[in-house]
Order: sequence, then C-alpha cells, then structure tokens
Amino acid sequence: MTHTLSLPWTPVALSSDVPPGTVIPAKLSSGPIAVWRTQSGHLSANGDRCPHRGMRLSHGFVRGETLSCIYHGWRFADDGSCTHIPAHPNLTPPSAIKCNPRQAKESGGVIWVADELPDEEPVFFEGYKPLRSLVVAADETSVREATQATDVDSGLAVNHAGTDIRLLVSDLDGEQVFVILLLAENTSPEACVSASRWAEVMRQKAERICNHGETT
Amino acid sequence: MTDTAMKDAWYPVGLCSDLSADGRKTRLMGEPITVKTGPVGAPEVLNADNEPLPVIIRFGHVWTSLGAPQTDLFTIPEADQPSRKLVDVGVVRVKCSPLRAVENFLDIAHFPFVHTDILGAEPHTEVEDYKVEIRDEEDEVWATKVKFFQPQAAKSAEGGITTEYMYRVPAPTCSVLYKTCPPRPGEWDVICLFVQPLTEDLCDVWPWMALYDEDNTMTELIHFQQMIFLQDRSILENQIPTRLPLDPGMEMPTRADMTSVAYRRWLKRHNYTYGAQLVAK
Ligand code: FES
Ligand SMILES: [Fe+2]
Repeated sequence: MTHTLSLPWTPVALSSDVPPGTVIPAKLSSGPIAVWRTQSGHLSANGDRCPHRGMRLSHGFVRGETLSCIYHGWRFADDGSCTHIPAHPNLTPPSAIKCNPRQAKESGGVIWVADELPDEEPVFFEGYKPLRSLVVAADETSVREATQATDVDSGLAVNHAGTDIRLLVSDLDGEQVFVILLLAENTSPEACVSASRWAEVMRQKAERICNHGETT
Repeated sequence: MTDTAMKDAWYPVGLCSDLSADGRKTRLMGEPITVKTGPVGAPEVLNADNEPLPVIIRFGHVWTSLGAPQTDLFTIPEADQPSRKLVDVGVVRVKCSPLRAVENFLDIAHFPFVHTDILGAEPHTEVEDYKVEIRDEEDEVWATKVKFFQPQAAKSAEGGITTEYMYRVPAPTCSVLYKTCPPRPGEWDVICLFVQPLTEDLCDVWPWMALYDEDNTMTELIHFQQMIFLQDRSILENQIPTRLPLDPGMEMPTRADMTSVAYRRWLKRHNYTYGAQLVAK
C-alpha cells in the first residue's frame, strides 16, 4: 500500500530550497513543474513549459513578482497569466496565454503542490522540522524495505539510534522517488548529522534492493 | 511514408578538410553511413551495405542523400565573392529535432535573453515588423528587412549598432543568414546553419560562414560562433516537446515569429516531417 504517493498534495521540495527570487524544477505525477518564489516571498508553481515555444520555465528567472522565460523573456504572474512579451513591449498580452498554474502550499517547511486545489490541507507533522531531501533511484517498496519503516499519518516513521525520523516519499518518474527527512524539532545537531548519514546508507540499500528485484 | 520527401533532400555529413581514407562513421536519418576519401582521392559516402550514396562537395562540406534528389543542392552566390573568409566552424551535437535547430536559427527575439550583451541586450527587445514570404519560384522561405539592435553584432563590430538581416531557408534543415557587414557597408556577411539529422531527436549542426573580416584570426571567428551556438544548445535541449509541432495550437506565435510560422507552413506543405510532431501521429 502506498501512502505518500496517493496524497492529494505532493511534497516537491523544502521551503529552504526555494528562497525569494529563485525557481527550481520539480515533478508531479502529471508532469514536470517549475516551483518559484517571488521577490516578496510569494510561492507559486506551474507546468514546466512556456506556452510560447515550449521552453522549460524552470530554466528561467524570477523578476520581481513574475517568472521570466529564458528563451524570449515572456513574463508570467503567479496565476499563470502572461504579463509581458518583450518582442512587443507595447502589446497587452492576450488573456488566452497561460502557463498552466498549479496549486502550491507550504506547511512545516515543506513545499506541497497539486494540480487542482484539494479539499484537504497538506499533511503536517506537529513538532517536526525538515532536515534534508534526497532522490533515490528506487521505488517506494524498496525504500520501505530498506528503512523497515512503519506507516504513520501519510508518511513513514523510523527510529534510528534513538532519533525519531519521519519520511515523506513521492514518486518522480517511476524510476526514482523523492524523499524528505523530518526530525523532531529538539533533535540535537549530532543526531541530525547521524540521521543524515543514515539517509545515505538507506539510499544505497534501497537502490540495491530495487536493482536486485529487477535482475532476479 | 511521410519521410520520403526529406529522404530526397541533401544533407551535410562532414567537413572536406576532415576527410580520411579510414573514414568517419556517422548517421543520417537513422541510417549508419561512412564518409571517407575514396580510392581515387574523391570524397565518398557509403551506406550500411557499403553502397555509394550521391555526393556533392560545396561550402566546405560533404553533402549526401539517402534518396534520389530531384534538384541540385542550393547555391550561395555571395559566398563566391573573392576576399571573403570562409570559416568551417566544425560540428556541435545537439539533442534536439533538426527542425527545432533551424527554427531557433531563424529567431531574433531571443538575442537579448540567450546571447545577452553579444547579439542583443535589454531594453532593446522590440522586434519590428519585417517581411516574410515563401518564394514559389525558388521554393524557399525568405525573411527580409529584419532589423535588431545588437551590442556587439559580430567579432568585427565595436559598440552597439542596429543590424539588418535577411534569412533564407533553401532546404528543410539548412538556413542562410545575411547580415550587414560592419567593415563593408552595402555588403552582407553570410552565416549558415547546415544541420545533419542523425535521428528525429538528435542532430549534428555544422555552422559555416563567408565573411569580410580582416581583423580576426580564423580561430577567433570559430570560437565566437561556437560560443553563440553553445548558448543556443542550452535552449534547444530543453524545449517540450522535443519535436517541432507543425500543427497550430501547441505553441503560441506572435508577429515576431512570422519566419517560424512560414517555415512550419513550408515544411508541412512539402511533407518535410522528419523531426516534426503532427497531431495525427
Ligand atoms: S519560449 Fe518562453 S518566451 Fe519564448
Ligand atoms: Fe541563438
């Protein structure tokens, strides 16, 4: 049974991965997306494809409150509407031009994205904070096996050397999963380092299990 | 088969200056081919069964075709004028459709964003109306009276100038750009993009130039052009979909894209669809 995979909101990054004025690529099961934060701190997400000539918007750059495509500089607002076409600076861009906006929300230091606005709020682990994220070249089943984790409210729970760890797992492209590690807020710096190392070991183990499953 | 039309066209497959008796193995539209110096010293192109394919030597490159070309390879009379520097830039491999590579070459609106401070710079982003036509007699796409502000228009240009261009598409994967020539007002520099389709999503691009330039060495000119093209490559490998959509709806052109619109229309009219995405597909 998959948990995180079937959530209405997909965890795609840590809030700290997207500081104001930046854009990063991410993935939903419906396809690639660009996640970006305006200069003033507002978070947005949209399909990773410019409606003009198909360039990936995650290669663009944030300008003030808009996302600018790297190819011809078309600018988009957080609702997906086009606000400026540099080749025709005096033209008001037609409202038909849209860059597929998605729903984006932050909760507990994690960025969550959905195609349509879900009824429920994203999961929130009271008293936990994100430590790091990692990409694992394996499926969720292998991650479960490698971590021996148990299910808790839409995530996974593990205890490593006395440290409580929560994992959020989402599918990237069928061959990789995206994992976010959360620790209790009062976890000591040493325990954080140790949990981060454990995550690396877990990654290798999950990848081995997954590979093995394929070849045997 | 919709690809027959493109099979009959000519494609660049190597530099004449690079030929050897051992030959270079490459691909053309998915077929393995070998480009080499033949027994009597003439360039030769062989298919997978070691059968010779038609060959033309022109513009410093070896050209061939998998089909039966009905026409000669196009010519560029300006390139024959004496005292021009003929520059073999070499090859750049790009993971994109050969048609996308040509379309990008026909585009000026990206200069300030992709070739920042070299071929364009903000706030000079406006593309004024220009003239586009499909010339029936030559069966070529032409864009003329194209003007754009360039901070450093060419290796030989100091400071910003408004440059005038003409673009020409004489073959499905080839484009010729004529560009005002700073040292010789009234003449045009000639910059070409010859694209070898390896597959529908992979190509080898052979830029070639015929310039009036006395100030720069061959190496400097080659480096300048390669730098420009590497900037384009970072775009070309990140467009979705990889293949060029020939049917309207998928992408959203404006007046600045008139050349691209005409190019797509011309490709479709001729069934030049290798590297294209059709709704029907
Ligand atoms: S492809 Fe984005 S502005 Fe042209
Ligand atoms: Fe370019």
